[in-house]
Amino acid sequence: MTVLGLRFERREKVSRRWQFVTLALAFLASALVSSLLIIFARASVGEAFAALFAGAFGSWKAFLETLVKATPLILTGLSVTVAFRAKIWSIGAEGQLLTGAMAGYWVGANLTSLPPVLLFLAILAAAFAGGAVCGWIPGYLKAKLRVDEVIVTVMLNYVVIFLLSYLLANPWREPAQYYHMTPSVPEVAHFPVLFARSRLHIGFVVALVSSVLVFWLLHKTCLGYEIRGIGLNPTAVKFKGVNVARVTILTMVISGGLAGLAGAGEVMGLHHRLKADISTGIGFTGIIIAMLAGLNPLGVIPAAILFGGLVNGSNRMQILTGVPTAMVYTIQGVVLLLFLSARAMAMYRVRRVRNA
Amino acid sequence: MLEALFQPTIIISMLAGMVRIATPILLAALGVLITNRAGIMNLGFEGIMLMGAYVGFWAAHQTQSIPLAILAAIVSGGLMSLIMVFMASTLKVDQTVTGIALNILASGLTFYWYRVAYKAATAQVMPSVEIMQRVEIPILSQIPVLGRVFFSQYLLTYFAFLMVPCMWFFLYKTKYGLELRCLGENPRAIDMKGINITRLQYITVIAGGMLGGLGGAFLTIASAGIFVPEISAGRGWLAIVVVIAGNWLPFRILMATLIFSFLDAFQLQAQSLGVQFPYQILLALPYVAAIVLIIVSRARSEAPSALGVPYFRE
Amino acid sequence: MQGSTLMQAHEPILRTDNLTKRFGNVVANKAISFQVNKGEIHCLLGENGAGKTTLAECLYGFYRLDSGEIYLKGEKAKIDSPRDAVNLGIGMVHQHFVLVRPLTVLENIVVGTDAAQPILDLSKARKRLEKLCSEYGITLDLTAKVWQLSVGEQQWVEILKALFSGVELLVLDEPTAVLTPQEADKLFDILAKMKADGLSIIFITHKLREVMAVSDRVTVLRKGEKVATVNTNEVTQSDLAQMMVGRQVAFRVTKGKARTGAPLLEVRNLCVRNDRGQEALKGVSLQVRRGEIVGVAGVSGNGQRELFESIVGVRRVEQGQVVFNGKDITNDEPRSIAARGVAHIPEDRLSEGLVPDFSISENLILGLHNRGRFFWRGIYLDSREVKDFSSKCIDEFDIVTPSADQKTSNLSGGNLQRVILARELATNPQCLVANQPTRGLDVGAIEYVYRRLIEQRDEGVGVLLFSEDLDEILNLADRIIVFFRGETVGTLKAEEATREGIGLLMAGIVEGDQ
Repeated sequence: MTVLGLRFERREKVSRRWQFVTLALAFLASALVSSLLIIFARASVGEAFAALFAGAFGSWKAFLETLVKATPLILTGLSVTVAFRAKIWSIGAEGQLLTGAMAGYWVGANLTSLPPVLLFLAILAAAFAGGAVCGWIPGYLKAKLRVDEVIVTVMLNYVVIFLLSYLLANPWREPAQYYHMTPSVPEVAHFPVLFARSRLHIGFVVALVSSVLVFWLLHKTCLGYEIRGIGLNPTAVKFKGVNVARVTILTMVISGGLAGLAGAGEVMGLHHRLKADISTGIGFTGIIIAMLAGLNPLGVIPAAILFGGLVNGSNRMQILTGVPTAMVYTIQGVVLLLFLSARAMAMYRVRRVRNA
Repeated sequence: MLEALFQPTIIISMLAGMVRIATPILLAALGVLITNRAGIMNLGFEGIMLMGAYVGFWAAHQTQSIPLAILAAIVSGGLMSLIMVFMASTLKVDQTVTGIALNILASGLTFYWYRVAYKAATAQVMPSVEIMQRVEIPILSQIPVLGRVFFSQYLLTYFAFLMVPCMWFFLYKTKYGLELRCLGENPRAIDMKGINITRLQYITVIAGGMLGGLGGAFLTIASAGIFVPEISAGRGWLAIVVVIAGNWLPFRILMATLIFSFLDAFQLQAQSLGVQFPYQILLALPYVAAIVLIIVSRARSEAPSALGVPYFRE
Repeated sequence: MQGSTLMQAHEPILRTDNLTKRFGNVVANKAISFQVNKGEIHCLLGENGAGKTTLAECLYGFYRLDSGEIYLKGEKAKIDSPRDAVNLGIGMVHQHFVLVRPLTVLENIVVGTDAAQPILDLSKARKRLEKLCSEYGITLDLTAKVWQLSVGEQQWVEILKALFSGVELLVLDEPTAVLTPQEADKLFDILAKMKADGLSIIFITHKLREVMAVSDRVTVLRKGEKVATVNTNEVTQSDLAQMMVGRQVAFRVTKGKARTGAPLLEVRNLCVRNDRGQEALKGVSLQVRRGEIVGVAGVSGNGQRELFESIVGVRRVEQGQVVFNGKDITNDEPRSIAARGVAHIPEDRLSEGLVPDFSISENLILGLHNRGRFFWRGIYLDSREVKDFSSKCIDEFDIVTPSADQKTSNLSGGNLQRVILARELATNPQCLVANQPTRGLDVGAIEYVYRRLIEQRDEGVGVLLFSEDLDEILNLADRIIVFFRGETVGTLKAEEATREGIGLLMAGIVEGDQ
């Protein structure tokens, strides 16, 4: 491709330095777009960024709250990472999170007679199972019926949202309340808080541990080897005896389960009840986080903290400067697009053409 | 209560609703069709429709002019799909993730823009625009049943339905349609003949996005008159589903669209009659139907062979 | 179709001057200067990877030159795209067809030409094509969809594409790769007719026999550079071979007599469908015994791939049986078939045999990874064991690489094949099924593969070899089976086989059928 006397040639090997440069450019471009959005809201760019940063990382309290926001993002980021590594384009983390939340809620609300530690484990197990079931459906359809997973997972998200709406309106509804939601969960089921006077709950630890476990899964186990193999060349691994159907289903089960854990954290650690807006696009943000982390389970943690910071800081930004919190959601899309572009640009080398 | 649904007047009303509801989906689906024929799977159509819905609404609010609003919506759809084709065709980035990114972008941007533009809006006092009026076709609209269902609709609806045979003609009887069909199947074949693949892809995908934006505009300026975040509610995805279910053939796509629209119209009618049935099941019906349709149609799929595959010259 | 009246016969219609084309750091064509005379058939000869196809695609405007000039009929030509080339009278038939399968022959030919008006009316184009077909004796249904045609017929569509645009210089890239010897002869006849009509032809090939049979002059390329241009009637095949490779080439492989043992692998009345649902195998039966190489000869596309996949366990068998060591392994999982001792070398190294983004050691354990040796209890990775195994393989099979953790995609074709061989032979298989194992390899790598195959045979392994290369079959096989349209049409002992005899069988002409 030749533009303005400069030839763009595809590289055979990606150079680390050029990768860094393009990523830095993407970062700058994101900052630029954010500034434009802030100006559009007729606010001061400096004030807005300052408020954003202060709200995210400006104090110990703020930082803890950032981690609170990051917790479910780590888990949905992991969920997407596992699926995408197998080149299964699952967009269903949102729905899987909700089914996990539902299952976790039910256990937490009803099995209160269990000793607290067992109850905690039961909630986690149920949430994992709930998300896993939601993940199993598209996995099975893809493995056995060769149905494309993208549309199925997106449609399933909507179905699950309606299911939740039904449950909240009828059987699980808190009586005499205008908003559809469940009664508060008994205290014994609440996830313990890690630091006094903050909202950071044990779900954060669960997330960190999960990150390490997923890394270990992908790089140190036979199943992880097969998952990566399927993602990189499904034909060859099929010839060499890998049961692609089985691995596909397992991958989606694990992916769904991880998102389900995120749901448990939000219900039991944060809101202490099940509501319709328990997830504000956390499942979709997980996709961005997974991509930014380069589909690396450990890289998900810093990416999630960054985005958690953005979401957290945006509250302060809105209060102080009037810039709507929705700016952060806009930036998420922009960041992903710029990141993808940067990665693609890193694959090209620029050369001046002598005779254009 | 259920018997109330089967009164003739109710059924006619449902069918008219079906045609109306089909309009945005059909427009977007035709956009998806030509985009796919160009070899690109633009999953960002949900976002394109949402942008078209908001931009159309905002423009109508600012200018009080429906034609200008439609134009603005079309432009917004074109810009969104410009991003898509740049990333898919020029940068050769993975199309699935790009499409999802576009959806997220549209979701955030429309919400943000709405909040900034209408700071004073609350749930009770929402900015609104005057919606398009129906246009009754003389003589034809007097036919019993069919007249009410098909010929007392909006201009955009007539346009959408007329586009179906136009699209068929375009694809199978014109030079550009021939080149387009080759592009989606084997880009190398026409690259070798010296046809400018990049230009063909850009033009087609942008045109597709424009149709999507137009479809989105229908949701606000012809239907609701207001904007609510996520007003597109999965219709962009349904547009993609009907193209797959219709096997990339214009008339079959129309059929699939009508099926979905009928389900939606049925559900609306049932709700308004106060039929005692968990309404969530009815709401979920189109999405469940989409899943079933996808499962069933994968067997005889005639997807363009190069769909979703970036083209490299070497 | 007639060229400028200013030209006389034997003037160069095409001349290149120091033509250079790079892809990144690889120089595919280095300062190539050669010329083609009007009305001659000029061969471009070279090994796989010598740069023949790249040169042709530069002439066709598919690639932009990095430096150098092209002169057409004495004038400097600016060829920036295939359209320019076509307007200048250059046409090209590619090795891998560029046809749009769901469309008709007519549509494929017409798209992108002036005959395609905004509102299509293909009747005039159709008449013109029918005339062209009758002129050259080509029989083709213009309204058939391309996917319905045989491979040979598809090639005619490609040729018609060039003729339709009024070509003066026709470039054919390895046209006989997909033809039986008889079909190839028919092609040569038609090329001769074209030549008589004043057409100039560039014929790209790596087969020496064809060069001698059809060309007037030949330009030999080696590793991107031109070695020489000679008159065909002044050289011998071995001269050309030496120019192609740079050293003496042994034509015959040295192998001892086979010591065949008991039947090992049997295929009985196999009926299998291909990916499009058509019958690919119609009741195929064959047998491989220990210690012998059975060569399956046949042009690609006659069912070899489906047979290979059925034996290996990747394709469903509808009727019939695959029996190994007396046990029925029909429709077994690839994993258990491999565990029984059946190793395989697939047709496409990078897409069927290896995971290019895996490291070399990760690729070496592929297929063995689930047998408990490299993962403790089948779950946890044993890095030491993997490392030891990889080092052993790299040493034993002379895989050229700085380390076992290198990404496999960086390796050359020959090295890739060594990785696959190392992996397959590490299990000490009893049976080895190889599908086109030397395709795309240079001579050194080909010799290595031959050596290993014969070595296995001598150690008692039963080898089933699928190959389009007739010389390869005649060199290696102890018994030869010929495939045509999904059936075995002949089984011969190697000593009894002749080129012509096999060629007839490959074309489906059974003895007594004349």
